[in-house]
Amino acid sequence: MTEALIVRGLDKTFTKPAVMDLDLTVHAGELYALLGPNGAGKTTTLRMVAGLTKPDKGEISIFGIDARADPAAAKAITAWAPDEAMVYDRLTPLEYLEFVAGLWNIEPKAAKARAEALLAKLGLAAEARTRCEGFSRGMKQKVALAGALIHDPRLLILDEPLTGLDAAAARLVKDMLQDRVRAGGAVILTTHILEVAERMADRIGIIAGGRLLAEGTLDALRARAGEGPKGEGWGGSTLEDVFLQLTATDAGAAA
Amino acid sequence: MRLAAPGSIPWLLAHEMRIAWRNYRAGRAGKGARGLISLIVVGAMMLGGGVLAALGLREVEVPIHPISISIAALATLVVFTLMLSQTLSASSEALYERGDLDLLFSSPIGPAKVLFVRCLGVAGGVITIFLLGVTPLLLPSVIWGHPGWIGVFGVLGALALASTAVGLLLAMALFALIGPRRTRTVAQVMAALVGAGFFLVSQARVILGEQKSDSLFAEITRQAMEGRLHPAPIVSLPLRAMLGEPLPLTALLAGSAGLFALAALTLGRRFSDAAAATQGKTAARPARASRGQARRAFAAGPFLATLRKELLLIARDASLLSQVLLRVLYLIPVALVLSRNAADGTGTALASGAGVVAFLAGQVAGSLAWITLSAEETPDLLAVSPARTRTLRRAKLAAALIPVALILVAPIAALTWFMPAAGLWTALGAALAAWSSGLINIWHQRPGKRSDFKRRGGSSWMATIAEMVVSALLAGATGIAVAGFWPWSLIPLGLAGAALLSLRRSDAQIARNLRTR
Repeated sequence: MTEALIVRGLDKTFTKPAVMDLDLTVHAGELYALLGPNGAGKTTTLRMVAGLTKPDKGEISIFGIDARADPAAAKAITAWAPDEAMVYDRLTPLEYLEFVAGLWNIEPKAAKARAEALLAKLGLAAEARTRCEGFSRGMKQKVALAGALIHDPRLLILDEPLTGLDAAAARLVKDMLQDRVRAGGAVILTTHILEVAERMADRIGIIAGGRLLAEGTLDALRARAGEGPKGEGWGGSTLEDVFLQLTATDAGAAA
Repeated sequence: MRLAAPGSIPWLLAHEMRIAWRNYRAGRAGKGARGLISLIVVGAMMLGGGVLAALGLREVEVPIHPISISIAALATLVVFTLMLSQTLSASSEALYERGDLDLLFSSPIGPAKVLFVRCLGVAGGVITIFLLGVTPLLLPSVIWGHPGWIGVFGVLGALALASTAVGLLLAMALFALIGPRRTRTVAQVMAALVGAGFFLVSQARVILGEQKSDSLFAEITRQAMEGRLHPAPIVSLPLRAMLGEPLPLTALLAGSAGLFALAALTLGRRFSDAAAATQGKTAARPARASRGQARRAFAAGPFLATLRKELLLIARDASLLSQVLLRVLYLIPVALVLSRNAADGTGTALASGAGVVAFLAGQVAGSLAWITLSAEETPDLLAVSPARTRTLRRAKLAAALIPVALILVAPIAALTWFMPAAGLWTALGAALAAWSSGLINIWHQRPGKRSDFKRRGGSSWMATIAEMVVSALLAGATGIAVAGFWPWSLIPLGLAGAALLSLRRSDAQIARNLRTR
């Protein structure tokens, strides 16, 4: 199985440690969900993978490219979409996508066709030539997602991608992410909506206090939850039970 | 114990002032001690000037005379237009910038009260700026010998209230006439025109091409000296109020306060409706070039895509456009002086005019470069792209220089037509000044908000001063060259080059500097 993302020994300290000795692997054709309470280090981890935050130490490899040694090559096949949509209010979605396509040096004709197709798929065709300044948060999220997809990235890094989206749009985005995964791409995302991780993710990582506490498929995590500390069992089988138990244990340990 | 009941006008005003103060503090983040020291130094210098003036004016009594009446009335008019420029801009922005308006309008507090307080905030903002400038200069005179001059503060207060009322009325009238989509842009442009209006009027003789380049002040003074000026009694009101005569001062204050209350209280409901109507309306209009856009191919590569994006953002920024327009308006008389002297063939005005053009080119380019480089709205998007930082910087610099070139191409072409050498020196000087300002903004980037353009929020004070000094040196070099002494222009040129060398920063230094912000 091709490895889309390999993270080894990743460390980052701001005023206090944000991420500590983090190891992570995401395979091609896989959707990986990173879960954790607020301040767990999820966004810092993703920002380091996207090349936005410099790690103190550690290795990041994206489809075999050393992202720290050759960031431009890694960025060329990566896309990053944060929870706050990165769009320009005074540009139209089409103009925004033109700019993003230019940054990734996509051939203009292909970029334009792809931009129009993406906007149509995301239900923004009618607003393609309307400035983003009056758009709802969900609409801006969709424009940003189109921007993330326009260069056909092999690794998609998404921080809370479903924030602000209505049910129909969330379904659409989920379908688009599944399509990318089926096409051999890889997606790593953070979410607070455990149900999203439960339904969509091939594997789930649970992070708290900057450390990866558990990782695996939902079944593997459930099985682990069934064991419980010292084998006494935690008495729950949902991801929420697992999440709460693990993060509570960690918080207790930290205290 | 609370000083005012929650929901009351004083309570709302206190809230407004606290938010304004914190916004101001946020805009000056990291400048704490340095900012305070600069403020103290400038304040002390002004106070020193005020003390000297007080000593000199101690025995001087201002006569109620047609000349003094006219000067006071004109000064009042100038201050009023400057204040109106700010209040019109602030009133129109208040319609669009949501801020806490939604929260306030959704509360049980009446919209009229909310607007009244917001208007008081606008008036307070304007008067604060003028008081900061006037107080240290005037207060010593008030204390030593001229207690009546305290009336100047009252006149300033009256003007702030009146200009806020007129600004609000104009903004609402625009809203009713041309709708929410265009009001913001038109109001900003109008504010710029009003701000520059008096300057342009004072330069009427220059613009109209009279032989003498007398200013309006000089013309009025001459008329008064010749005994041809007979101002109506009401015109003497500002001077009498400034000198502390109770009745004129009370009349001015009462009239302004009445106008302010009338505008603020009667427009409350309309304002809240208008503010609600602006939501999303600016975006509802398809981009003007939508048809062309459908046909137009996408820009190829990071340079062209970034250049196009920056030019679009500049062209669509009403506040930015009004500020650039303001500077261009100030350039008009200079350009006319230039062309007139060029047509005559000689003149020191030609040399100084060429210098002014180069200086303004540097200043406008510096402002635009700050917008394109430091006020990037989505730095993360650029950071995650594989595009080279240098390519993006070059595109942003080009985007800042193109509007300057467009503004200057016609006047410089006209100058070159009459005097090829002068035209070429001016073009060279303007290009160098603009380029230098752009480079300084690349080397000393400091992320800021686009909306903070006027004060270049968070911008490096050293870069701003350096930009001004280098522009001035290059302006000097241009003027000297145009005057025909071009070898001497090598001195300021060399100094500008040395300044640029000392300001230069490597890519690594720029990146480090940005990381620590």
